[in-house]
Amino acid sequence: MKSQYFAGIDIGSTMTKVVLMSEATLTSVIGPTGPEHRKLANRVMEEALAKAKLAFEDITYVVATGYGRINVPFADKQITEISCHARGVAHLLPEVRTVIDIGGQDSKGIKLKEGRAVDFVMNDKCAAGTGRFLEVTAEELGVSLEDVGRLSLEAKNKVEISNTCTVFAAQEVVARLSEGVALPDIIAGLHEAIATRIYGMLRRLKIEREVALTGGGAKNIGLVKAMEAKLGFPVLVPPEPLLTGAIGAALLGRDIVREAVEKGETLVRSQRRLTEATLFA
Amino acid sequence: MVYVAGIDIGSAFSKAVIMAKNEIIAYRVLPSGGNYKLTAEQVIKEALTKAKLKQKDITYTVATGYGSTNVSFSSETASDISCLGRGVYYLFPAARTAIDIGGQFTRVLKLDERGKATSFLLSEKCAAGSGRFLQVIARVLQIDLEDIGELSLKSKKGVDFNTGCAVFAESEAVSRVAEGASKEDILAGLHRTLAAKIQTMVARIGLEPDCAVVGGGAKDIGLVRSIEEGLGYRLLVPEEPQIVAALGAALVAWEKVSKGG
Repeated sequence: MKSQYFAGIDIGSTMTKVVLMSEATLTSVIGPTGPEHRKLANRVMEEALAKAKLAFEDITYVVATGYGRINVPFADKQITEISCHARGVAHLLPEVRTVIDIGGQDSKGIKLKEGRAVDFVMNDKCAAGTGRFLEVTAEELGVSLEDVGRLSLEAKNKVEISNTCTVFAAQEVVARLSEGVALPDIIAGLHEAIATRIYGMLRRLKIEREVALTGGGAKNIGLVKAMEAKLGFPVLVPPEPLLTGAIGAALLGRDIVREAVEKGETLVRSQRRLTEATLFA
Repeated sequence: MVYVAGIDIGSAFSKAVIMAKNEIIAYRVLPSGGNYKLTAEQVIKEALTKAKLKQKDITYTVATGYGSTNVSFSSETASDISCLGRGVYYLFPAARTAIDIGGQFTRVLKLDERGKATSFLLSEKCAAGSGRFLQVIARVLQIDLEDIGELSLKSKKGVDFNTGCAVFAESEAVSRVAEGASKEDILAGLHRTLAAKIQTMVARIGLEPDCAVVGGGAKDIGLVRSIEEGLGYRLLVPEEPQIVAALGAALVAWEKVSKGG
């Protein structure tokens, strides 16, 4: 039997992630979403196909997820990022009961039960507690986002950031810097501020171990440590924390196909076109 | 003749008002910059020059605002709320509600029949309800803060924004520009977003007419119109909305001088 391939595409606010999977292999490509994210999504897909040496027609089912999932013309189905993250994490780390996803423009907490999302909380209204908080404040400090996590671990006397709002916190850190406070101490304070904000959001969920950290924020060692300090226990981080949503999307696609085959139903697929996605119908 | 002065050192702008008894004879507005002490000295100096007076001619000076403690030459400091209340009362005695849209915060005051604030709300936790929001947007759209109001009034159809957060609105504005939306329509949309935040504050404190709008944000005619539309109520706007707290401070100084003799 010809092997089947499934694609998951997660169009986030900052990065677009594509995963192609068969039973045995997994190919992934991560590209920036950029301001014109809807136009770039198909390019990330094309890149992944080229890497896997597959044609678009070889893909049995395509699931799109993430903030930019609406009207992706080459997807068979759109599924919320909550469901996709839940499926992806349950597959990678089956012992996990709570997922904390820290994205570029939002953060979420998801409670899992038997591999499914049973409850969630989300903040996409305020930049505080999301990746944007660090992005804006790091830029103000003239530090690259890749270095902030490592730098925060060098802190000797972490400062407290008194402003919640990203705009005001950015002013505050510049003032601290001009007062001669050491850069790592300020950066550690910023990490603590995000962790506090996310922890506050999560309280409603009743956090249960194990806890996984996903999204771009999980690639920041300083943020992982700050979250662990808030929680009081270690967290699990998947090998590529950016990909859990796309992996979940591909797996949910595979589930849909399997279920259709088991029930002997015809698979409903959309008229796919590998062209630009649009936000508006 | 007795002269008094009021100084308001705000997060974005510093203002000085000089009064002869209780008549305004000169005022000056300067950006606050990084050194409040020097800015305070400069703004009073320029106001004195305009009034053709010397520092020694001023009997009493009251300082207010974010940086009031940096005013080395003041006789005393007064709270921004009491100064705002006095300033609004002087200009619009019938005002019972005052909205002050400052660089860092927006305040909404409830005033009694003598201009005393009986309650107030402050938007201090979030840039979304303050003039800071407009500054961020002006930078993104590469326009002068002063031009925002007039430009937005030219809009035919404001762009809808998904967010109230100043940081997210900034990136949303960038996306809309990339998609070809006009600056006018983006500004109109952002005015509506900011106005909605301010309206929520007004609703919480309870709108009691007349309602005045003061502070740097009141110079933005697009924002004022947007708040008026949302509230369904015509607002009172002073000729020079930025100096109202400094005016109030000068009035406090005048009260001191006239009572103390």
